[in-house]
Amino acid sequence: MILKKSKSLLNILSTVGLPVLFGALIYILWQTKVLHALFGTDEIILPLPDRIGSIISDNFTNMLPQIASTLIVALGGLVLGSLLGYFIGVAGAVFKKWGMGGLTIVSAFNAIPLVALAPVINNWTRDLSNQVDIRSTVAKIITVTIFCTASMSVNAYRGLTEVKPFSEDLFASYGSGKLKMFLKLRLPNSLPYVFTALRVSVPACVIGAVVSEYFAEQVVGVGRQIRENIVKGQFPTAWAYIAIACAMGILMYVILLIVESIVLKNRRAR
Amino acid sequence: MKIINKILSAKSTVTAVWVLGIVVIWEICAFIVEATQRTPINVLPHLYQIVGSFFDTKPITGGGDTILTLVMSSAAETLSRALIGFIIGMVLGYVLALLMNLSHIVEKIAFPYLMIIQMIPILGMAPIVLSITGDISSARIIIAAILTFYPVSTNTLAGFKSVSRERHELMRSYGATKFQLYTKMLIPSAMSYFFTGLKISAPMAITASILVDTLQGGNGLGCMLSQSLKGSMTRFVFWDIVIFSAVIGVLSFYLMGVIERALVPSKRGKKKKAVN
Repeated sequence: MILKKSKSLLNILSTVGLPVLFGALIYILWQTKVLHALFGTDEIILPLPDRIGSIISDNFTNMLPQIASTLIVALGGLVLGSLLGYFIGVAGAVFKKWGMGGLTIVSAFNAIPLVALAPVINNWTRDLSNQVDIRSTVAKIITVTIFCTASMSVNAYRGLTEVKPFSEDLFASYGSGKLKMFLKLRLPNSLPYVFTALRVSVPACVIGAVVSEYFAEQVVGVGRQIRENIVKGQFPTAWAYIAIACAMGILMYVILLIVESIVLKNRRAR
Repeated sequence: MKIINKILSAKSTVTAVWVLGIVVIWEICAFIVEATQRTPINVLPHLYQIVGSFFDTKPITGGGDTILTLVMSSAAETLSRALIGFIIGMVLGYVLALLMNLSHIVEKIAFPYLMIIQMIPILGMAPIVLSITGDISSARIIIAAILTFYPVSTNTLAGFKSVSRERHELMRSYGATKFQLYTKMLIPSAMSYFFTGLKISAPMAITASILVDTLQGGNGLGCMLSQSLKGSMTRFVFWDIVIFSAVIGVLSFYLMGVIERALVPSKRGKKKKAVN
């Protein structure tokens, strides 16, 4: 018993400890400039981690508007794209034959390079508003929306159609209509699939927001700041924004995992 | 009548109708744009104009390049780097998946970082990779390789893990060596997972390569794209590249499916069954 306990403790220790040790090793190599020698760069292009940290802590209030702008675009696109994707999935599940073809097209959309999309959408929103910030934000949100739609629509379709065998028959034998079957069987069944899709689209929405900022009219956002600062030769600031972009991606993913564990708690227990 | 029904219900017909629908919607929008906008070429030109411009023989640069030759030479530049990066990423990803399956220690070290790398916007790091390498071609290769690497690695590892315990026990009862275990069972079973990873990463590698292009001058699809947007050549170059890269992105996805069907016997069998 004790042996078993100590074994599982050792297991947990190694699961957490080994990656942390590896991370620490990289940090030390970076701070002691071994990494610089390895990549053949200098401290200007690849600044030391403590310098990046101090830039973030010194300028955090200045960085907030940039972070807010990127967050609005990423979250706005994520919500709209997920809703649109789910709606397409529902349409596909209702009109099965034609829906499947539509889904093929939507997933083909996913293979279109985002870079090609962003400038086109910029052109479309040009007449939307006289204010640059509004039309530029709308253009970015549309880009992220398209980026997030495909995975949700495919997963929603699967969640709505891949129900447990016989459960459809059971519902039919209870004499429930199609609408009731949809609300009580298909909709709840699709919930885990929705989270599978979100696991793809949450990181994707941050990437989409960052890349769409590169092409946007308005010079704002974490992604754009990375680029602008590199053009200006201010590499430490650029690295600070890269660190923030990474932190945003990781934070949003962790929030998603927490929400998922709360929402799907009852299912796992069963 | 039966034949007509069969054609109508075929999957390819459904897809074709969808494509046709999109073309019709595009053209309707293009007519509206043409009537209301001052510069319809910038917003939404007709599809036939785009296709027509692609085969236009009029030279558009000082060097006497037509749009077709210009797009093709830039595409060769960009896509060849994307392909090199893709292959490097694929090999590294596969090797890491193998190592992670062979050794628990490697798995415990690498797996959390594989998760983290999925969450961070790698494309946002493209400018910094470009300044570290200082060379646009190697930047393209590196970014494409990183983006290929982790989907391949995580999916292949999932493939290795998906092999059921019973099959492991069967192989052990046959007295298979570790090498045989991998070559006869694990690697073939993980093949379809491996290709799932490739299908995800092939369009991403192309996107990455084009994005890196836009950061710096030189040759390449992304570079021509931004030049045309700035107005230093005709707008149709931009539209042609948009359409071209969309088609290439979709084709790269399907190409992986074709290669999979050619290499994996079980998939081949399924396809044949579906045909019969």
